[in-house]
Amino acid sequence: MTNRNVRTWCVILCAALAVSGALTEISAQDAGRSAPPVTPRAADGRPDLTGIWVAGNASPQTPSVDSKGSIQVFLTVPGLNPDSPTVFKEMDSLTVQRRAASPNKPVYKPEFVAKVKELSDLQAKLDPAFFCKLPGVPRMGAPAQIVQAPGQIVLLYGDHNAFRVVPTDGRKHRTDIEPSYLGDSIGWWEGDTLLVEANQFTEDTWLGSDGYFHSPAMRVIERFQRVGDTLQYSATVHDPEVLAEPWNIPARTLRLSIDPGDALVEVPPCIERDSPHMLTNEHH
Amino acid sequence: MIQLTSRLAFRIGVVLLLGAVVSAHHSLASQFDESKPLTLQGVITKVEWVNPHVYLHLDVKDKTGTSAPWALETLPPAMLRRGGLRSDMLGKGEMVTVLAYHARNGSNLAFLRKITFADGREVVVWIGDIKTAK
Repeated sequence: MTNRNVRTWCVILCAALAVSGALTEISAQDAGRSAPPVTPRAADGRPDLTGIWVAGNASPQTPSVDSKGSIQVFLTVPGLNPDSPTVFKEMDSLTVQRRAASPNKPVYKPEFVAKVKELSDLQAKLDPAFFCKLPGVPRMGAPAQIVQAPGQIVLLYGDHNAFRVVPTDGRKHRTDIEPSYLGDSIGWWEGDTLLVEANQFTEDTWLGSDGYFHSPAMRVIERFQRVGDTLQYSATVHDPEVLAEPWNIPARTLRLSIDPGDALVEVPPCIERDSPHMLTNEHH
Repeated sequence: MIQLTSRLAFRIGVVLLLGAVVSAHHSLASQFDESKPLTLQGVITKVEWVNPHVYLHLDVKDKTGTSAPWALETLPPAMLRRGGLRSDMLGKGEMVTVLAYHARNGSNLAFLRKITFADGREVVVWIGDIKTAK
């Protein structure tokens, strides 16, 4: 084989490899677009909800330090000028407006509307969560971590050092316990969706900071649906004693933490000491 | 210009880091007066890494050498941690200058905005939408 032939074959071979590589890349991209997400399953065939679940829009937690070692940390309030001479008052106003504009609020029976307003006006004196008590279900939102085992599922709430053990073996609610902040929970599967029903709550929790109280008869149904590495969480509050209709909390999407070193850590204790220094009843 | 760009990029980075909208434990306006900024110099004697707010304790000496203890309230520990701050970065034992806003009841309590260390480093912990800042 002459040198010229060798060069010719090299050119042909290289071109073929380049085309092959490009096709392989295109195929991989197609596969990435079209392949349905794989949902891991437990031994019983149900979706495996085990994992640490984080908010879908959560940003990575990396320190932001400039070259001199200075650091800035902001509690972000959209539209609030940090340099405004009335920044505290504006913060209250903006957060009140944001909550007031929310299209989804619990609807109370007419005879309880005045009570809700009264409680809301005195939130800084009456909201149990303000004084470091557990916010309860569903105010605590989705769990930060789920551990699924045969016959039971454990829900862990990293922001509160709290947990719920949810039997999934078909048992009924307990009747021998005191009302509690997280209630008594049982779970069952409907298709690939886990439903958790909680009842027997203490009245010492609110549904939200605007005076949304509930009765001892409140019952909460939460729904968990895993698709691939995302988890849909929603809840419905049933309290016909005080609510005019069930209150639906729309589904939010969580994503599985992919950091192998991720682990819940103990949160510092909660010690409320602002209340004695507050001169007005404003809340936001 | 380069410094300005760098500062802006740093600020934007922090905003992205804390992109989620969160609210504080209580109305700051009901407790602190933003029209009464204070500049205090003293030694940080204690850092309380607790919920719902982290507290720094500052020993402030006046011209006669008399000490007065001040408490400085700031954001919750989870927010500080998300922003890259740990308790050991808050200057326990160090002489610092702080900018803070006085409690409305006149007590030795203030809401922290900035710590400046002897070497010029700053720790700013504040509220708002950085995109609207001047």
